[in-house]
Amino acid sequence: MKRLAPFFRQRLAELDRLLRGDATQAEALEDNKLDVSAGGLLVIAMLLAAFYGLCMGSFSLLKEMPVELVDPYGPVKQVLASMIKTPALFLLTLLVTLPSLYVFNALVGSRLTLLGMTRLLVAAMSVNIAVLASLGAIVVFFSLTTKSYPFILLLNVAAFTVAGVLGMLFLLQTLHRMTKSEHREHPKAVAKPSIQMKSPIELTPLTSQEKSKSETTSSESTKGTLQTSALDMPQGQVLGGSTKVVFRCWIILFSLVGAQMGWVLRPFVGSPNMPFTFFRERDSNFFAAVVGALQQLFTGG
Amino acid sequence: MFTLQTADDVLRRADWTARSDGNGARGRSAHSLIRLLSCIVTFAFLYGAVMGSFRGLAGLPSWEWQMLFSATKVPLLLTGSFFITLPTFFVLSTLLGLRQDFTATVRALFAAQAGLAITLAALAPLTMLCYASTSNYSQALALNGLMFAVASLAGQMLLRVHYRPLIARNPRHRQMLLAWGTAYAFVAIQLAWLLRPFLGTKGLEVQFLRTDVWDNAYVVVVRLIWRAVFG
Repeated sequence: MKRLAPFFRQRLAELDRLLRGDATQAEALEDNKLDVSAGGLLVIAMLLAAFYGLCMGSFSLLKEMPVELVDPYGPVKQVLASMIKTPALFLLTLLVTLPSLYVFNALVGSRLTLLGMTRLLVAAMSVNIAVLASLGAIVVFFSLTTKSYPFILLLNVAAFTVAGVLGMLFLLQTLHRMTKSEHREHPKAVAKPSIQMKSPIELTPLTSQEKSKSETTSSESTKGTLQTSALDMPQGQVLGGSTKVVFRCWIILFSLVGAQMGWVLRPFVGSPNMPFTFFRERDSNFFAAVVGALQQLFTGG
Repeated sequence: MFTLQTADDVLRRADWTARSDGNGARGRSAHSLIRLLSCIVTFAFLYGAVMGSFRGLAGLPSWEWQMLFSATKVPLLLTGSFFITLPTFFVLSTLLGLRQDFTATVRALFAAQAGLAITLAALAPLTMLCYASTSNYSQALALNGLMFAVASLAGQMLLRVHYRPLIARNPRHRQMLLAWGTAYAFVAIQLAWLLRPFLGTKGLEVQFLRTDVWDNAYVVVVRLIWRAVFG
C-alpha cells in the first residue's frame, strides 16, 4: 500500500499536468513526444472509467423489480459489470483503432512513432475519461432519483458526447503543438511547405490580417494576462488543411468504433425490467437505440 | 450578530468575500468559505421554515413538521446542487486553463448563493403576509416561485460583480460560468422536484418526501408537452 500511494500520486499529478496543459506546452514537446508515461496514465484512466461505470450502473440500484423477475443480486451484478465494461470500452476502442490510425498517419507523412502516437492517444483518452468521471456525480444523482430508463440512457450518451468532444479538442491541439515543435526541429521544411513538406500536419501561412491578430494576442500573452490552456490553439498558427483531414478521419474512426463497441458491450445501465445479463443479443445498432430511447422518452411507451 | 455581520459583508461585497492575497491566504480562504456556507445554510433554513408555514396559516394540521421539513430542504437544495456539480466545475476549469482562479471562482459562487439565501430570508416576511392573506395552494406556490426568481436575480447581480475582475483577466471565465450555470440548473431542477413538497397541500399527509419521489422532472415535463401538442 505504501508503494502504491506514491505511484498513484505521481500518475494523478501527470493527469493534472495534462488537464492544465502544462504537459502539452510547446517547450514540453521539444523532442516531438509527449513526456508522460502511457502505462501509468492508462492505470489512472481505467480506474476513473471504473468509477464512471459505477455511477452508470447505479441506476439499477433502488429500483422496484417486476415480481416475476427473481434476481435479487441483479442490480449489484450490473454495477460490477459496468465497472468492468466501461474501462474495457475505452481500452478496446483504443486497441482497435490504434493500428489503423498509425498506418494512416504514417502513410500521410507524420513523424509520430508508434510509441509517440500511443502516448498521445492514451493522453487524449485520459482527458476524455477525466471529464467523464467529473460528470459522474451528476449521473449518479440522476440515476438514483429517476425511474425513466430512456432518460438515463440519453443522459449517459450526452455525458459521453461532452467528454468525447473535449477529449478530441485536446487531441487536436496537442497534435498541432507537436507539429509546431516538429517544424522547429526541421526549419527547412517550414521554409518551402508546398514542395518539400510531406507531412500533413503542416503550418499554414498566415494572412496579414491573421498575422496582426496573432501579434496582438501574443503581446497580450507576454503581459501575462492569459494562461494557455490544454485546449488553446498555439499562437500564430491556424489549422493546416491536411491536419484537418487527419483529425477528421480520427474523429470518425473513434466515434464509430466507440459507439459500436459500446453497443457490443451493452448493457451498461441495466433495465430494471430485465434480468441481469453480462452481454445482450447482437441486434439493432447504437444509433437506432438512441432514436428509440428518444421516442420512448417522449411517448412514454 | 456574527451571522448578520456576515450577511452585511456579503451584500456589500466586503474584501474577505472576494480576495485572498498575501500570506496565509489558503487558511483564510477556507475560513471565508466556511463562513459563506454557514450564511447560506442559516438564511435558507429561515426561508424554508417560513415557506413551510403555509399549512399553519391555512389552519391545517401537522404544520410544525412541514415547517421543519421545509427548513431542512431549502439549504439542501441550494448546497446539494452546488456540491453535485463541483467536480465537473473543477475538471472543466482545469481543462480551460482557469485552475489558478479556482478558489476565487468557488468563493464568488458561494458569495452569490449566500446573497440568494439572504435575499430569500429578507423576502420571508412578505411571504408570511401573503400566506396570511390567502390559503390558496396554487397562489402560494406561484408566490414562492416569484420569491426564488427575485432572489436568483440578486444572486446573479452579486455573481456578476465578483466575476467582473476574473472575466477581465481571462474571458474564458464567462464560458465556464455559462457551462457551470447550465449544469447547476439541470441538477437543481431535479433536486427541487425530488425534495418536494415544500409547502404541503391540503389533501395530503405531511411527509419529508413524496412517495412518487423517484421520478424525473424532465420526463414529466416532456411528456406533458408531448400530450398537450399531440394528444
